[in-house]
Amino acid sequence: MNRKLLLSIWAAGAAMCMACAIPRAALGNPPQEKETYSPPRLSDGTPDLRGIWEARTTAYLNIEGHAKEKGIAASKSLVVDTADGKIPYLPDARKQRDDNFAKRESADPASNCFQAGVPRAVYLPTPFQIVQSPGNLAIVYTDAHAYRIVDPTAVPHDDGIDYFMGDSRSHWEGNTLVIDVVDLGDETWLDEAGNYHSDQLHVVERYTLVGPNTMRYEARLEDSKVYSKPWSIRLLLYRDMRAGARITEDECLEGPDRRWHHLSPSDPRAILHHDYAAELAAAAKNNTDQAKQ
Amino acid sequence: MIGGQRGFVRARNAIFAAGALIFIAIPPAGAQVAQQTTQTAADKPEQAAIPRLADGHPNLQGTWHNEVGAAALRKAGPFGDYHSPGVPLPYPYLPITQKIKDYRFAHDLYGDPEAHCHLPGVPREIEQPSGIFPFKIIQDEKYVVILFEYTHDVRIIPEDASPHPSHYAAWDGDSRGHWDGDTLVVDVANFNGRTWLDMDANFVDENEHVVERYTMTSPDSIALAATVEDATVFSRPWTMHLMLKRNPAKEHLVEYDCHEGERDVDHYLQSEGNPSGKHE
Repeated sequence: MNRKLLLSIWAAGAAMCMACAIPRAALGNPPQEKETYSPPRLSDGTPDLRGIWEARTTAYLNIEGHAKEKGIAASKSLVVDTADGKIPYLPDARKQRDDNFAKRESADPASNCFQAGVPRAVYLPTPFQIVQSPGNLAIVYTDAHAYRIVDPTAVPHDDGIDYFMGDSRSHWEGNTLVIDVVDLGDETWLDEAGNYHSDQLHVVERYTLVGPNTMRYEARLEDSKVYSKPWSIRLLLYRDMRAGARITEDECLEGPDRRWHHLSPSDPRAILHHDYAAELAAAAKNNTDQAKQ
Repeated sequence: MIGGQRGFVRARNAIFAAGALIFIAIPPAGAQVAQQTTQTAADKPEQAAIPRLADGHPNLQGTWHNEVGAAALRKAGPFGDYHSPGVPLPYPYLPITQKIKDYRFAHDLYGDPEAHCHLPGVPREIEQPSGIFPFKIIQDEKYVVILFEYTHDVRIIPEDASPHPSHYAAWDGDSRGHWDGDTLVVDVANFNGRTWLDMDANFVDENEHVVERYTMTSPDSIALAATVEDATVFSRPWTMHLMLKRNPAKEHLVEYDCHEGERDVDHYLQSEGNPSGKHE
């Protein structure tokens, strides 16, 4: 994937959206608001969340907020319930975060094209699609072709297994989809700035349509190994309304540097053109060379 | 390093066969093998028995697996040919691509993109060895979505017969579906020329074009016919016939991930008594 191009597109989108700045909840309160919008519904009466959604923010760089950089818009902190918008790390954990930041280029699990985890996958600079039918809901992310099958709460969480994308169980509270996520392991980060969690992370996500093309996303993160108290983030998600919009395939290729790199299917280098005569000639030469040795 | 290469395949076959046997142990499957290969479009679906959505189309939702067949597994054993019945081997290569296939089989089995954790492509994702992993279908009036457990592969298939995009080349290609009566027909193009069809070096290239036909033949079975054409690889189109069987409702998919990349190969080699893990 052409990261620079993506960044500039998303930065432009984020800049246009400065007017719709994310409202901050009253400090110290869990971010829950009464909602008056009446969403469309599936035949079973549940709100219809289907569609391609994207977070038009550059907070994926640092969810505690960051200043404007060359070609990248600034972002406010996504954290809504601490006084300073910072993550309430335990002292040792803050040192670990700072250490992560210092070596983020190589230490960020996403630099290996791993699946992003929760909640990071939600505010990546690539869209995701919610797939839904009565009794079924899945979230399909562009990034690393990750997906989550969101089973109802009646199915118990898996025990003793960690997953990159966690183990998700859901229920509806009014018009809000509430997803309880555990088993996230400790191999994912929260952003590109080294903000992280342990294998004890417990996330409760809340998805609420606040308009036909806008969805509020909230997540409460609890992890007593790393944070001094639970904390929450909030952002808005926007529907991709372009006709025929689709999630594109995101598969990484390993480069000569033995690191993995995103390669967009629209990049001319994505396609491998074959010249079988040349391949056979090379094979024959290879065989001859080996015979000589 | 031929020994190492064979060992690599053997290990994968053994792992795969062990998984397959668990599946076979659940539904007694022997009786279904014969009918699987003779499944044709002439076999009328049992109209009343098929679940349907409100839009009238067959409801393909649920968790499924490719019914490999007990006979195929007996024939295979842990180390042999693991293909489903209904896979028309050998494929009709052109003379030059036959040589390519033979060379890769003898010298470059590590070239298998699955050994590098890549997406399997179509129709491999449903056939072997990924086919032994279940997949879940979610369907509405606009999309049929297939969520594969194997390497968290996903296909979102619109049902509107929309055209393929230009300037797009992907491991799984681009899928566009439509309903032909009760059959979901999926046209798949825009492949990137990187996928193989199996771990025996059967392959396709960037000109691959697949037409899949999913026909529900009972509430718990879907006949899948996948016709593959690739004029730069094969002398004629060929069709793979698979039978998909429903998994018990309480089974859910778990996350399958594969992220060691090239280093997987080193580990396979180490397990074959080559401590350095180096390969040619």
